Amino acid sequence: MPFQNVVELSHGKIFALQNEIELDGMVSAYPQSERGYSVSNCYLLRERTAAYLIDTGYGAHEQSILSQLASIIEPDVPLTLIPTRINEFMSVGNGQAIAKVFNVVGSYASQPNIADWLDFEAIDETTTRCEIPTTLLRGLLTLNVGHGGEREIDVFSAPLRLINTTWVYDPETRTLFSSDMFSHRSQPKSGGPWVIEADHISDMSFVRSFLLNTRYWWLEGANTESLRRGIADVHERYEIEMIAPGYGGIFKGRELVDQQFAILDQVLRELDRSVVTPAYVPRGLER
Amino acid sequence: MSNNPLPREIADGIFWLGECLEQRYQGKIYHGYNSTYLIVGTEAAMLVETGHPKDFPVIERQMRNVLQQCKVPLRHLFITHQETPHSGGLGRMLAKYDEISVHADLCDYHLAFPQYTDRMVAMEVGDEIDLGGRKFIAAEPVVRDMRTSLWGFDTGAKALFPGDGFAYSHYHWDGHCGQVAEEATSLDLVEVSSVFAELALFWTNFADMQLYVDRLEQLVAELGVEIVAPTHGLPILDIQKTMPKVCHGLISAGQQAAE
Repeated sequence: MPFQNVVELSHGKIFALQNEIELDGMVSAYPQSERGYSVSNCYLLRERTAAYLIDTGYGAHEQSILSQLASIIEPDVPLTLIPTRINEFMSVGNGQAIAKVFNVVGSYASQPNIADWLDFEAIDETTTRCEIPTTLLRGLLTLNVGHGGEREIDVFSAPLRLINTTWVYDPETRTLFSSDMFSHRSQPKSGGPWVIEADHISDMSFVRSFLLNTRYWWLEGANTESLRRGIADVHERYEIEMIAPGYGGIFKGRELVDQQFAILDQVLRELDRSVVTPAYVPRGLER
Repeated sequence: MSNNPLPREIADGIFWLGECLEQRYQGKIYHGYNSTYLIVGTEAAMLVETGHPKDFPVIERQMRNVLQQCKVPLRHLFITHQETPHSGGLGRMLAKYDEISVHADLCDYHLAFPQYTDRMVAMEVGDEIDLGGRKFIAAEPVVRDMRTSLWGFDTGAKALFPGDGFAYSHYHWDGHCGQVAEEATSLDLVEVSSVFAELALFWTNFADMQLYVDRLEQLVAELGVEIVAPTHGLPILDIQKTMPKVCHGLISAGQQAAE
Protein backbone atom coordinates (compact mmCIF):
# COMPACT_ATOMS: atom_id res chain seq x y z
CA MET A 1 0.00 0.00 0.00
CA PRO A 2 1.36 3.44 -0.87
CA PHE A 3 2.69 5.44 2.04
CA GLN A 4 0.16 7.77 3.60
CA ASN A 5 0.36 9.84 6.72
CA VAL A 6 -1.33 12.54 8.75
CA VAL A 7 1.21 14.98 10.16
CA GLU A 8 0.25 17.44 12.86
CA LEU A 9 2.36 20.37 11.73
CA SER A 10 1.17 22.67 14.48
CA HIS A 11 -0.53 21.34 17.60
CA GLY A 12 -4.23 21.08 16.88
CA LYS A 13 -4.01 23.78 14.21
CA ILE A 14 -2.61 22.35 10.95
CA PHE A 15 -2.66 18.81 9.72
CA ALA A 16 -1.00 17.65 6.51
CA LEU A 17 -2.85 14.84 4.78
CA GLN A 18 -0.04 13.22 2.84
CA ASN A 19 -0.31 10.56 0.14
CA GLU A 20 2.81 9.34 -1.53
CA ILE A 21 3.29 9.32 -5.31
CA GLU A 22 5.90 7.32 -7.15
CA LEU A 23 7.96 9.38 -9.56
CA ASP A 24 8.23 7.22 -12.65
CA GLY A 25 8.13 9.84 -15.39
CA MET A 26 4.33 9.89 -15.33
CA VAL A 27 3.71 12.80 -12.97
CA SER A 28 3.50 16.17 -14.70
CA ALA A 29 4.48 18.09 -11.58
CA TYR A 30 7.96 16.54 -11.67
CA PRO A 31 10.63 16.31 -14.38
CA GLN A 32 10.12 13.35 -16.65
CA SER A 33 13.58 12.03 -15.77
CA GLU A 34 13.19 12.30 -12.00
CA ARG A 35 12.83 9.08 -10.02
CA GLY A 36 11.94 8.46 -6.43
CA TYR A 37 8.87 9.54 -4.48
CA SER A 38 6.94 12.61 -3.55
CA VAL A 39 3.73 13.34 -1.67
CA SER A 40 0.60 15.24 -2.44
CA ASN A 41 -0.31 17.44 0.52
CA CYS A 42 -3.79 18.52 1.51
CA TYR A 43 -3.89 20.73 4.58
CA LEU A 44 -6.59 20.89 7.22
CA LEU A 45 -6.70 24.07 9.29
CA ARG A 46 -8.75 23.28 12.39
CA GLU A 47 -10.44 25.44 14.95
CA ARG A 48 -12.97 24.59 17.61
CA THR A 49 -16.02 25.51 15.54
CA ALA A 50 -14.90 24.96 11.94
CA ALA A 51 -12.15 23.84 9.61
CA TYR A 52 -10.68 24.76 6.24
CA LEU A 53 -9.26 22.25 3.76
CA ILE A 54 -6.62 23.43 1.34
CA ASP A 55 -6.77 21.15 -1.72
CA THR A 56 -8.54 17.81 -1.95
CA GLY A 57 -6.06 15.48 -3.64
CA TYR A 58 -6.12 13.00 -6.53
CA GLY A 59 -9.00 10.63 -7.12
CA ALA A 60 -6.66 7.69 -6.56
CA HIS A 61 -6.28 8.85 -2.95
CA GLU A 62 -9.99 9.31 -2.27
CA GLN A 63 -10.40 6.63 0.39
CA SER A 64 -7.18 7.62 2.07
CA ILE A 65 -8.13 11.28 2.25
CA LEU A 66 -11.60 10.57 3.54
CA SER A 67 -10.08 8.35 6.19
CA GLN A 68 -7.43 10.91 7.05
CA LEU A 69 -10.04 13.64 7.40
CA ALA A 70 -12.23 11.43 9.56
CA SER A 71 -9.31 10.92 11.91
CA ILE A 72 -9.14 14.66 12.56
CA ILE A 73 -12.68 16.07 12.39
CA GLU A 74 -16.20 14.85 12.92
CA PRO A 75 -18.44 14.78 9.82
CA ASP A 76 -20.64 17.60 11.09
CA VAL A 77 -17.85 20.16 11.55
CA PRO A 78 -18.40 23.04 9.12
CA LEU A 79 -15.74 22.59 6.47
CA THR A 80 -14.69 25.12 3.82
CA LEU A 81 -12.67 24.17 0.76
CA ILE A 82 -9.88 26.22 -0.78
CA PRO A 83 -8.64 24.55 -3.97
CA THR A 84 -5.39 26.30 -4.78
CA ARG A 85 -5.28 25.20 -8.43
CA ILE A 86 -8.84 24.84 -9.62
CA ASN A 87 -7.75 23.47 -13.03
CA GLU A 88 -5.78 20.55 -11.64
CA PHE A 89 -6.85 17.11 -10.48
CA MET A 90 -4.40 17.20 -7.57
CA SER A 91 -6.34 20.14 -6.10
CA VAL A 92 -9.94 19.26 -6.95
CA GLY A 93 -9.99 15.49 -7.41
CA ASN A 94 -11.95 14.67 -4.25
CA GLY A 95 -14.07 17.77 -3.72
CA GLN A 96 -17.34 15.98 -4.38
CA ALA A 97 -16.36 12.87 -2.43
CA ILE A 98 -15.55 15.02 0.58
CA ALA A 99 -18.77 17.02 0.24
CA LYS A 100 -20.80 13.80 0.29
CA VAL A 101 -19.34 12.69 3.62
CA PHE A 102 -18.45 15.90 5.44
CA ASN A 103 -20.35 19.10 6.14
CA VAL A 104 -18.87 21.26 3.37
CA VAL A 105 -20.45 24.67 3.87
CA GLY A 106 -18.57 26.70 1.31
CA SER A 107 -15.57 27.27 -0.86
CA TYR A 108 -13.25 30.05 -1.89
CA ALA A 109 -12.17 29.82 -5.51
CA SER A 110 -11.01 31.84 -8.48
CA GLN A 111 -14.13 30.85 -10.44
CA PRO A 112 -17.81 30.95 -9.49
CA ASN A 113 -19.74 27.82 -8.65
CA ILE A 114 -17.01 25.46 -7.53
CA ALA A 115 -19.30 22.45 -7.92
CA ASP A 116 -18.92 22.81 -11.70
CA TRP A 117 -15.17 22.31 -11.28
CA LEU A 118 -15.41 19.28 -9.02
CA ASP A 119 -17.88 17.26 -11.06
CA PHE A 120 -16.03 14.30 -12.54
CA GLU A 121 -18.53 11.57 -11.74
CA ALA A 122 -22.05 12.70 -12.59
CA ILE A 123 -22.86 11.24 -15.98
CA ASP A 124 -26.12 12.93 -16.74
CA GLU A 125 -28.46 15.56 -15.40
CA THR A 126 -30.25 13.06 -13.19
CA THR A 127 -27.17 12.20 -11.15
CA THR A 128 -27.03 14.27 -8.01
CA ARG A 129 -24.03 16.23 -6.94
CA CYS A 130 -23.35 18.36 -3.90
CA GLU A 131 -23.77 22.05 -4.55
CA ILE A 132 -21.25 24.16 -2.65
CA PRO A 133 -21.62 27.90 -2.03
CA THR A 134 -18.66 29.66 -3.61
CA THR A 135 -17.04 32.97 -2.77
CA LEU A 136 -14.88 34.41 -5.51
CA LEU A 137 -11.26 35.08 -4.69
CA ARG A 138 -10.18 38.50 -5.91
CA GLY A 139 -7.14 40.32 -4.65
CA LEU A 140 -6.22 39.74 -1.02
CA LEU A 141 -8.92 38.29 1.22
CA THR A 142 -8.75 37.77 4.96
CA LEU A 143 -10.89 34.83 6.03
CA ASN A 144 -12.03 33.63 9.44
CA VAL A 145 -11.47 30.01 10.27
CA GLY A 146 -14.20 29.42 12.81
CA HIS A 147 -16.76 31.73 14.27
CA GLY A 148 -16.09 34.96 16.11
CA GLY A 149 -12.78 35.67 14.50
CA GLU A 150 -10.99 32.79 16.19
CA ARG A 151 -8.35 32.66 13.53
CA GLU A 152 -7.72 34.71 10.42
CA ILE A 153 -5.89 33.62 7.28
CA ASP A 154 -4.89 35.61 4.21
CA VAL A 155 -5.71 34.24 0.77
CA PHE A 156 -4.23 35.78 -2.38
CA SER A 157 -3.13 35.12 -5.92
CA ALA A 158 0.29 33.51 -6.24
CA PRO A 159 2.88 36.02 -7.53
CA LEU A 160 4.45 33.32 -9.71
CA ARG A 161 2.08 30.84 -11.28
CA LEU A 162 1.27 28.86 -14.39
CA ILE A 163 -2.45 29.50 -14.25
CA ASN A 164 -4.84 30.76 -11.52
CA THR A 165 -3.16 29.72 -8.29
CA THR A 166 -3.89 30.63 -4.70
CA TRP A 167 -1.49 31.00 -1.80
CA VAL A 168 -2.61 31.07 1.82
CA TYR A 169 -0.85 32.53 4.84
CA ASP A 170 -1.75 31.56 8.39
CA PRO A 171 -0.30 34.07 10.89
CA GLU A 172 -1.17 31.94 13.88
CA THR A 173 1.24 29.21 12.79
CA ARG A 174 3.36 31.42 10.52
CA THR A 175 2.78 29.02 7.65
CA LEU A 176 2.69 29.82 3.95
CA PHE A 177 0.70 27.34 1.87
CA SER A 178 2.47 27.74 -1.44
CA SER A 179 0.60 25.36 -3.76
CA ASP A 180 2.92 24.49 -6.67
CA MET A 181 5.85 26.64 -5.53
CA PHE A 182 8.67 25.39 -3.26
CA SER A 183 7.54 21.91 -4.27
CA HIS A 184 10.88 20.60 -5.40
CA ARG A 185 11.86 18.25 -2.58
CA SER A 186 11.25 14.61 -3.37
CA GLN A 187 12.91 11.57 -1.74
CA PRO A 188 14.80 8.66 -3.29
CA LYS A 189 12.85 6.11 -1.27
CA SER A 190 9.33 5.65 -0.06
CA GLY A 191 8.47 6.76 3.44
CA GLY A 192 9.86 10.26 3.53
CA PRO A 193 10.86 12.20 5.51
CA TRP A 194 8.23 14.64 4.30
CA VAL A 195 8.81 17.37 6.85
CA ILE A 196 12.23 18.84 6.20
CA GLU A 197 14.12 20.71 8.88
CA ALA A 198 17.52 20.69 7.25
CA ASP A 199 18.04 20.83 3.52
CA HIS A 200 21.38 20.01 1.94
CA ILE A 201 19.93 19.24 -1.48
CA SER A 202 18.16 22.40 -2.60
CA ASP A 203 20.62 24.78 -4.18
CA MET A 204 20.48 27.17 -7.09
CA SER A 205 21.23 24.50 -9.67
CA PHE A 206 18.75 22.00 -8.26
CA VAL A 207 15.85 24.45 -7.99
CA ARG A 208 16.61 25.99 -11.37
CA SER A 209 16.53 22.61 -13.03
CA PHE A 210 13.34 21.63 -11.23
CA LEU A 211 11.51 24.75 -12.33
CA LEU A 212 12.68 24.58 -15.94
CA ASN A 213 11.82 20.90 -16.29
CA THR A 214 8.30 21.22 -14.94
CA ARG A 215 5.55 23.81 -15.25
CA TYR A 216 7.96 26.75 -15.17
CA TRP A 217 9.75 25.65 -18.37
CA TRP A 218 9.18 29.17 -19.76
CA LEU A 219 11.22 31.11 -17.19
CA GLU A 220 14.57 30.98 -18.94
CA GLY A 221 15.06 34.29 -20.71
CA ALA A 222 11.74 35.65 -19.43
CA ASN A 223 11.15 39.02 -17.80
CA THR A 224 11.43 37.88 -14.19
CA GLU A 225 11.89 41.21 -12.44
CA SER A 226 8.25 41.70 -11.46
CA LEU A 227 7.96 38.04 -10.49
CA ARG A 228 10.87 38.47 -8.11
CA ARG A 229 9.28 41.60 -6.64
CA GLY A 230 6.00 39.81 -6.06
CA ILE A 231 7.66 36.92 -4.27
CA ALA A 232 9.87 39.23 -2.22
CA ASP A 233 6.80 41.18 -1.20
CA VAL A 234 5.23 38.04 0.24
CA HIS A 235 8.43 37.18 2.09
CA GLU A 236 8.69 40.68 3.54
CA ARG A 237 5.00 41.07 4.36
CA TYR A 238 4.64 37.86 6.33
CA GLU A 239 6.65 36.19 9.06
CA ILE A 240 7.01 32.74 7.61
CA GLU A 241 8.39 29.84 9.63
CA MET A 242 6.99 27.00 7.56
CA ILE A 243 6.43 26.56 3.82
CA ALA A 244 3.72 24.01 3.10
CA PRO A 245 3.60 23.25 -0.63
CA GLY A 246 0.80 21.37 -2.37
CA TYR A 247 3.24 18.56 -3.09
CA GLY A 248 6.72 17.65 -2.00
CA GLY A 249 8.51 18.02 1.30
CA ILE A 250 7.36 20.65 3.81
CA PHE A 251 10.02 23.14 4.91
CA LYS A 252 9.99 23.80 8.66
CA GLY A 253 12.07 26.45 10.38
CA ARG A 254 12.68 30.17 9.81
CA GLU A 255 16.24 29.72 8.60
CA LEU A 256 15.22 27.04 6.14
CA VAL A 257 12.33 29.15 4.88
CA ASP A 258 14.61 32.12 4.30
CA GLN A 259 17.05 29.86 2.50
CA GLN A 260 14.34 28.66 0.10
CA PHE A 261 13.21 32.21 -0.69
CA ALA A 262 16.80 33.26 -1.26
CA ILE A 263 17.44 30.37 -3.64
CA LEU A 264 14.29 31.09 -5.60
CA ASP A 265 15.18 34.75 -5.89
CA GLN A 266 18.66 33.91 -7.10
CA VAL A 267 17.29 31.46 -9.65
CA LEU A 268 14.83 33.99 -11.01
CA ARG A 269 17.49 36.69 -11.13
CA GLU A 270 19.81 34.46 -13.15
CA LEU A 271 17.06 33.35 -15.51
CA ASP A 272 16.06 36.91 -16.37
CA ARG A 273 16.24 38.06 -19.99
CA SER A 274 18.97 40.50 -18.99
CA VAL A 275 21.18 37.52 -18.16
CA VAL A 276 19.97 34.77 -20.49
CA THR A 277 19.03 35.17 -24.13
CA PRO A 278 15.52 33.79 -24.58
CA ALA A 279 15.01 30.88 -26.94
CA TYR A 280 12.06 28.76 -28.01
CA VAL A 281 11.55 25.85 -25.61
CA PRO A 282 10.31 22.71 -27.34
CA ARG A 283 8.33 19.99 -25.63
CA GLY A 284 10.48 17.54 -23.78
CA LEU A 285 13.56 19.72 -23.39
CA GLU A 286 15.29 19.10 -20.06
CA ARG A 287 17.90 21.50 -18.71
CA MET B 1 -27.36 28.59 -21.72
CA SER B 2 -30.23 28.73 -24.27
CA ASN B 3 -30.03 29.03 -28.07
CA ASN B 4 -26.76 27.14 -28.30
CA PRO B 5 -25.88 27.10 -32.02
CA LEU B 6 -23.64 24.06 -31.66
CA PRO B 7 -22.96 21.39 -32.86
CA ARG B 8 -21.68 22.78 -36.12
CA GLU B 9 -19.75 21.10 -38.91
CA ILE B 10 -16.85 23.46 -39.61
CA ALA B 11 -15.12 21.29 -42.20
CA ASP B 12 -15.80 17.98 -43.87
CA GLY B 13 -16.09 15.50 -41.00
CA ILE B 14 -15.15 17.94 -38.24
CA PHE B 15 -17.89 18.92 -35.83
CA TRP B 16 -17.54 21.69 -33.26
CA LEU B 17 -19.19 20.90 -29.92
CA GLY B 18 -19.57 22.79 -26.67
CA GLU B 19 -21.20 25.69 -24.93
CA CYS B 20 -20.08 29.21 -24.06
CA LEU B 21 -19.16 30.35 -20.58
CA GLU B 22 -18.96 33.85 -19.17
CA GLN B 23 -15.64 35.53 -18.51
CA ARG B 24 -15.79 38.76 -16.53
CA TYR B 25 -12.95 41.17 -17.11
CA GLN B 26 -12.68 44.85 -16.26
CA GLY B 27 -16.41 45.42 -16.13
CA LYS B 28 -17.20 43.55 -19.34
CA ILE B 29 -18.67 40.09 -19.79
CA TYR B 30 -16.87 38.22 -22.52
CA HIS B 31 -17.75 34.71 -23.59
CA GLY B 32 -15.34 31.85 -23.98
CA TYR B 33 -15.39 28.23 -24.99
CA ASN B 34 -14.04 24.95 -23.66
CA SER B 35 -14.69 23.37 -27.02
CA THR B 36 -14.48 19.79 -28.11
CA TYR B 37 -14.36 18.54 -31.67
CA LEU B 38 -15.60 15.34 -33.22
CA ILE B 39 -13.56 14.05 -36.16
CA VAL B 40 -15.41 11.51 -38.26
CA GLY B 41 -13.54 9.15 -40.56
CA THR B 42 -14.88 6.31 -42.64
CA GLU B 43 -14.05 3.71 -40.00
CA ALA B 44 -13.99 5.53 -36.68
CA ALA B 45 -14.70 8.81 -34.96
CA MET B 46 -12.51 10.60 -32.46
CA LEU B 47 -13.40 13.20 -29.87
CA VAL B 48 -10.74 15.85 -29.28
CA GLU B 49 -10.85 17.11 -25.67
CA THR B 50 -13.63 16.35 -23.19
CA GLY B 51 -14.67 19.90 -22.41
CA HIS B 52 -15.23 21.45 -19.02
CA PRO B 53 -16.68 19.10 -16.39
CA LYS B 54 -19.91 21.11 -16.26
CA ASP B 55 -20.42 20.80 -20.03
CA PHE B 56 -20.35 17.03 -20.22
CA PRO B 57 -24.13 16.55 -20.54
CA VAL B 58 -24.32 19.10 -23.36
CA ILE B 59 -21.28 17.80 -25.21
CA GLU B 60 -22.30 14.18 -24.87
CA ARG B 61 -25.75 14.94 -26.24
CA GLN B 62 -24.34 16.91 -29.17
CA MET B 63 -21.83 14.16 -29.91
CA ARG B 64 -24.45 11.43 -29.74
CA ASN B 65 -26.65 13.27 -32.23
CA VAL B 66 -23.78 13.66 -34.70
CA LEU B 67 -22.70 10.04 -34.35
CA GLN B 68 -26.25 8.85 -34.96
CA GLN B 69 -26.34 10.81 -38.20
CA CYS B 70 -22.87 9.78 -39.36
CA LYS B 71 -23.24 6.15 -38.32
CA VAL B 72 -19.53 5.80 -37.49
CA PRO B 73 -18.50 4.34 -34.14
CA LEU B 74 -16.69 6.47 -31.58
CA ARG B 75 -13.40 4.75 -30.91
CA HIS B 76 -10.92 7.36 -29.68
CA LEU B 77 -10.58 10.27 -27.31
CA PHE B 78 -7.60 12.60 -27.68
CA ILE B 79 -6.76 15.08 -24.93
CA THR B 80 -4.28 17.92 -25.30
CA HIS B 81 -3.34 18.13 -21.62
CA GLN B 82 -4.26 17.36 -18.04
CA GLU B 83 -6.10 20.51 -16.96
CA THR B 84 -9.71 19.85 -16.06
CA PRO B 85 -11.35 22.08 -18.70
CA HIS B 86 -9.68 19.79 -21.26
CA SER B 87 -9.70 16.39 -19.56
CA GLY B 88 -12.29 16.63 -16.80
CA GLY B 89 -14.81 14.52 -18.67
CA LEU B 90 -12.42 11.62 -19.22
CA GLY B 91 -13.89 9.40 -16.52
CA ARG B 92 -17.44 9.95 -17.62
CA MET B 93 -16.64 9.39 -21.28
CA LEU B 94 -14.96 6.09 -20.51
CA ALA B 95 -17.82 5.10 -18.20
CA LYS B 96 -20.41 5.76 -20.87
CA TYR B 97 -18.56 4.53 -23.97
CA ASP B 98 -17.10 1.08 -23.38
CA GLU B 99 -15.17 0.87 -26.62
CA ILE B 100 -13.16 4.05 -26.66
CA SER B 101 -9.52 4.45 -25.74
CA VAL B 102 -7.78 7.60 -24.55
CA HIS B 103 -4.80 8.94 -26.47
CA ALA B 104 -2.58 11.59 -24.91
CA ASP B 105 0.55 12.26 -22.93
CA LEU B 106 -0.70 10.10 -20.10
CA CYS B 107 0.92 11.81 -17.12
CA ASP B 108 -1.35 12.09 -14.07
CA TYR B 109 -4.37 10.23 -15.47
CA HIS B 110 -3.46 7.09 -13.49
CA LEU B 111 -3.82 9.25 -10.37
CA ALA B 112 -6.99 11.04 -11.47
CA PHE B 113 -8.81 8.06 -13.00
CA PRO B 114 -7.00 4.93 -11.80
CA GLN B 115 -9.86 2.67 -12.80
CA TYR B 116 -9.27 3.32 -16.51
CA THR B 117 -5.53 2.95 -16.99
CA ASP B 118 -5.99 -0.13 -19.16
CA ARG B 119 -7.75 2.00 -21.76
CA MET B 120 -5.11 4.67 -22.08
CA VAL B 121 -2.62 4.82 -24.95
CA ALA B 122 0.43 7.05 -24.75
CA MET B 123 1.13 9.39 -27.65
CA GLU B 124 4.17 11.38 -28.61
CA VAL B 125 4.67 13.94 -31.38
CA GLY B 126 4.39 12.15 -34.71
CA ASP B 127 2.24 9.25 -33.54
CA GLU B 128 -0.80 8.59 -35.72
CA ILE B 129 -4.32 7.26 -35.38
CA ASP B 130 -6.06 6.06 -38.55
CA LEU B 131 -9.75 6.98 -38.63
CA GLY B 132 -10.32 5.69 -42.16
CA GLY B 133 -9.81 8.15 -44.97
CA ARG B 134 -7.97 10.50 -42.65
CA LYS B 135 -5.34 10.34 -39.93
CA PHE B 136 -4.91 12.16 -36.67
CA ILE B 137 -1.30 12.98 -35.88
CA ALA B 138 0.03 14.22 -32.54
CA ALA B 139 1.76 17.53 -33.13
CA GLU B 140 4.19 19.82 -31.37
CA PRO B 141 2.43 22.00 -28.75
CA VAL B 142 3.97 25.39 -29.48
CA VAL B 143 1.82 27.54 -27.18
CA ARG B 144 1.10 25.53 -24.06
CA ASP B 145 1.16 25.69 -20.29
CA MET B 146 1.74 22.22 -18.90
CA ARG B 147 4.96 20.54 -20.03
CA THR B 148 2.90 17.48 -20.93
CA SER B 149 0.76 19.14 -23.61
CA LEU B 150 0.26 17.80 -27.12
CA TRP B 151 -1.47 19.25 -30.14
CA GLY B 152 -3.15 17.29 -32.94
CA PHE B 153 -3.48 17.52 -36.71
CA ASP B 154 -6.17 16.00 -38.90
CA THR B 155 -5.01 15.13 -42.40
CA GLY B 156 -8.55 15.04 -43.78
CA ALA B 157 -9.34 18.73 -43.36
CA LYS B 158 -5.77 19.83 -42.63
CA ALA B 159 -7.04 20.99 -39.27
CA LEU B 160 -4.85 21.85 -36.31
CA PHE B 161 -6.16 21.18 -32.80
CA PRO B 162 -3.97 23.44 -30.67
CA GLY B 163 -5.52 23.09 -27.21
CA ASP B 164 -4.59 26.34 -25.46
CA GLY B 165 -3.12 27.84 -28.60
CA PHE B 166 -5.18 30.42 -30.55
CA ALA B 167 -7.13 31.13 -27.38
CA TYR B 168 -9.38 34.15 -27.22
CA SER B 169 -12.78 35.25 -26.01
CA HIS B 170 -15.69 36.58 -28.07
CA TYR B 171 -18.54 39.04 -27.70
CA HIS B 172 -21.86 37.49 -26.81
CA TRP B 173 -23.46 40.91 -27.23
CA ASP B 174 -22.54 40.91 -30.93
CA GLY B 175 -23.86 37.41 -31.60
CA HIS B 176 -20.47 35.74 -31.97
CA CYS B 177 -21.46 32.55 -30.17
CA GLY B 178 -21.22 29.64 -32.59
CA GLN B 179 -19.54 31.71 -35.29
CA VAL B 180 -16.15 31.04 -36.74
CA ALA B 181 -13.56 33.79 -36.41
CA GLU B 182 -14.11 35.15 -39.90
CA GLU B 183 -17.85 35.52 -39.33
CA ALA B 184 -17.35 37.47 -36.10
CA THR B 185 -16.41 40.60 -38.02
CA SER B 186 -16.73 42.97 -35.05
CA LEU B 187 -14.39 40.88 -32.91
CA ASP B 188 -11.17 42.67 -32.07
CA LEU B 189 -8.96 39.61 -32.19
CA VAL B 190 -5.91 41.45 -30.98
CA GLU B 191 -7.79 42.66 -27.92
CA VAL B 192 -9.47 39.39 -26.99
CA SER B 193 -6.30 37.36 -27.58
CA SER B 194 -4.47 39.72 -25.30
CA VAL B 195 -7.21 39.54 -22.64
CA PHE B 196 -7.22 35.76 -22.68
CA ALA B 197 -3.46 35.64 -22.44
CA GLU B 198 -3.53 37.91 -19.43
CA LEU B 199 -6.26 35.87 -17.73
CA ALA B 200 -5.26 32.31 -18.53
CA LEU B 201 -1.82 32.14 -20.10
CA PHE B 202 0.12 33.92 -17.37
CA TRP B 203 3.51 32.96 -18.79
CA THR B 204 2.87 34.71 -22.08
CA ASN B 205 3.06 38.01 -20.21
CA PHE B 206 6.70 37.39 -19.36
CA ALA B 207 8.18 35.35 -22.20
CA ASP B 208 9.34 36.61 -25.57
CA MET B 209 6.26 35.59 -27.53
CA GLN B 210 7.82 36.46 -30.88
CA LEU B 211 9.84 33.24 -30.54
CA TYR B 212 6.64 31.24 -30.13
CA VAL B 213 4.84 33.05 -32.91
CA ASP B 214 7.78 32.32 -35.23
CA ARG B 215 7.70 28.64 -34.38
CA LEU B 216 3.92 28.58 -34.71
CA GLU B 217 4.15 29.96 -38.22
CA GLN B 218 6.77 27.36 -39.08
CA LEU B 219 4.61 24.55 -37.74
CA VAL B 220 1.59 25.74 -39.67
CA ALA B 221 3.67 25.75 -42.86
CA GLU B 222 5.27 22.37 -42.13
CA LEU B 223 1.94 20.67 -41.57
CA GLY B 224 0.04 22.55 -44.27
CA VAL B 225 -2.59 23.73 -41.79
CA GLU B 226 -5.71 25.22 -43.37
CA ILE B 227 -8.08 25.24 -40.42
CA VAL B 228 -7.50 25.85 -36.72
CA ALA B 229 -9.86 24.33 -34.15
CA PRO B 230 -8.88 25.78 -30.76
CA THR B 231 -10.27 24.67 -27.42
CA HIS B 232 -10.69 28.25 -26.21
CA GLY B 233 -11.30 30.29 -29.35
CA LEU B 234 -13.63 30.47 -32.31
CA PRO B 235 -12.50 28.14 -35.08
CA ILE B 236 -10.41 29.73 -37.79
CA LEU B 237 -11.23 28.82 -41.37
CA ASP B 238 -9.09 31.42 -43.17
CA ILE B 239 -5.70 31.05 -41.61
CA GLN B 240 -3.97 33.58 -43.86
CA LYS B 241 -6.40 36.28 -42.81
CA THR B 242 -6.93 35.50 -39.14
CA MET B 243 -3.76 33.99 -37.76
CA PRO B 244 -1.72 37.23 -37.90
CA LYS B 245 -4.25 38.98 -35.70
CA VAL B 246 -4.16 36.26 -33.06
CA CYS B 247 -0.39 36.27 -33.09
CA HIS B 248 -0.33 40.03 -32.74
CA GLY B 249 -2.55 39.67 -29.68
CA LEU B 250 -0.17 37.18 -28.12
CA ILE B 251 2.78 39.46 -28.62
CA SER B 252 0.83 42.47 -27.37
CA ALA B 253 0.02 40.78 -24.08
CA GLY B 254 3.69 40.40 -23.31
CA GLN B 255 4.54 43.92 -24.38
CA GLN B 256 1.79 45.41 -22.22
CA ALA B 257 2.94 43.43 -19.22
CA ALA B 258 6.49 44.64 -19.72
CA GLU B 259 5.30 48.23 -19.61
